[in-house]
Amino acid sequence: MGWHVPCGEPPGVDQPSLTLDELATSRFPLLEYAPDAIVLVDDRGVIRLVNAQTERLFGYYREELVGQPVEILVPHDTRASHVADRADYASDPRVRPMGVGLDLHGLRKDGTSFPVEISLSPVETRDGTYVAAAIRDVTERKAFEVRLRELNAELERASRAKDQFLASMSHELRTPLNAIIGFTGTLLMELPGPLAPEQRRQLEIVQSSAQHLLALITDILDLAKIESGKRELTFEPVRIGEVVAAVAGALGTMAAAKRLTLRTVGVDSETVAITDRRALHQIVLNLVNNAIKYTDAGSVSIAVERVATGDRAGVRIGVADTGIGIKAEDLSRLFRAFEQLDPSSTRRHEGTGLGLYLCRNLATLIGATIEASSTLGSGSRFTLTLPLER
Amino acid sequence: MRVLVVDDNSTNLDLMLYLLRAFGHDATGCADGATGLETALRGDFDAVLVDILMPTMDGYEFARRFRAAPALRALPLIAVTALAMPSDRERIASAGFDGYIAKPLEPRTFVAQIEGFARPAGP
Repeated sequence: MGWHVPCGEPPGVDQPSLTLDELATSRFPLLEYAPDAIVLVDDRGVIRLVNAQTERLFGYYREELVGQPVEILVPHDTRASHVADRADYASDPRVRPMGVGLDLHGLRKDGTSFPVEISLSPVETRDGTYVAAAIRDVTERKAFEVRLRELNAELERASRAKDQFLASMSHELRTPLNAIIGFTGTLLMELPGPLAPEQRRQLEIVQSSAQHLLALITDILDLAKIESGKRELTFEPVRIGEVVAAVAGALGTMAAAKRLTLRTVGVDSETVAITDRRALHQIVLNLVNNAIKYTDAGSVSIAVERVATGDRAGVRIGVADTGIGIKAEDLSRLFRAFEQLDPSSTRRHEGTGLGLYLCRNLATLIGATIEASSTLGSGSRFTLTLPLER
Repeated sequence: MRVLVVDDNSTNLDLMLYLLRAFGHDATGCADGATGLETALRGDFDAVLVDILMPTMDGYEFARRFRAAPALRALPLIAVTALAMPSDRERIASAGFDGYIAKPLEPRTFVAQIEGFARPAGP
């Protein structure tokens, strides 16, 4: 519970050149019109002075309060301890909030009570030392706090329900796909018997469509996790060279099948970044996979270089290809969801349309940026710039 | 190899049994965890495959009981499940299985994967 140390003493209050009566006069409008109720109490706990806000807050006229023990403003159940606390304060009077960590309440004339925050301060006058209590009604703030807690709990419940939904969805979609991909596979493996060429062609369409659906499900669930902040990240030292080598290894066959050269440049064993290995791997894999997919002849290269971005050390992973390239006006649309640039090419280049969108989201998660440049007809280059430290 | 497969989804059970048999293995299927445990205890298997999300007894409970039975303690136990989120993988990895295969399974490599889990590379 935060405590508000209020406006402090009105100007001149701590100058012992004044008397209590002088304080009570309108020479100090700040005291009289302060937004907090201010109550001056003497060393016996008797109220000597109150301001206008005290009258409003507690429902008394000031004449009814002056001369009364201050406990008149304290709910019955805490009066006894209030007397003891008052004695404690008198032994060590300084400016401080009262009852830190306690839920304090004030008692109105009509018997109702309300939550308050109180700041205490000793006040020196020519007549002696008094204690000034600045009392703030926090009813509204407490109500907000309660509402906020309720809203938070509600959000947490909704977020857990969403997680549960995503997990079930992933499981439920994969289960029938297992049968589709599995039995299409057994047929294509000709386990039940030989296939006619047209049967094989059609089964291959079933197979690639099912694989496409699986990739979509994986990407959508990944995105949903990122967007709900549920993507688990583990920041640890990651050798960039290892990630690049793993991606090159995984996609080597795909490049070779298209007779493309897959090269790595500038890979060393020293460049280490504090990052999430899985996210980084997924981004680089996606970029290289795209590069191979959209290149019919030539090469794909993965280049690693150390850079400084501002005053931070970073590493840049560039994926360049000699493929079909991207029109200048299309570059800005590249990282949006479901934007495969040339509608006529979607058949030829099977993809979910979520890959680059996912890459950019993942990059943001690990504090990295992705940029694309391209010359139509002669290739594209994607660069991921990643800070070495978190 | 004699392989026991436990899965409550009959189509997926069918697929796994078909693949294992097609590659020359002796495969037996069970549709629930309790029957699977009984069968495992009575039979003489070289490996057991089990689904995770099953009614009455799930794959985790199956693994606990499986590992608690002296006769089964050393038998390779492999989870084959459509639970494929990273948190699922972690939980499965620490639940006493010797291997994990995510569904949809890859029909061309499935049997080789099972053989690899069942007979870890020797010295």
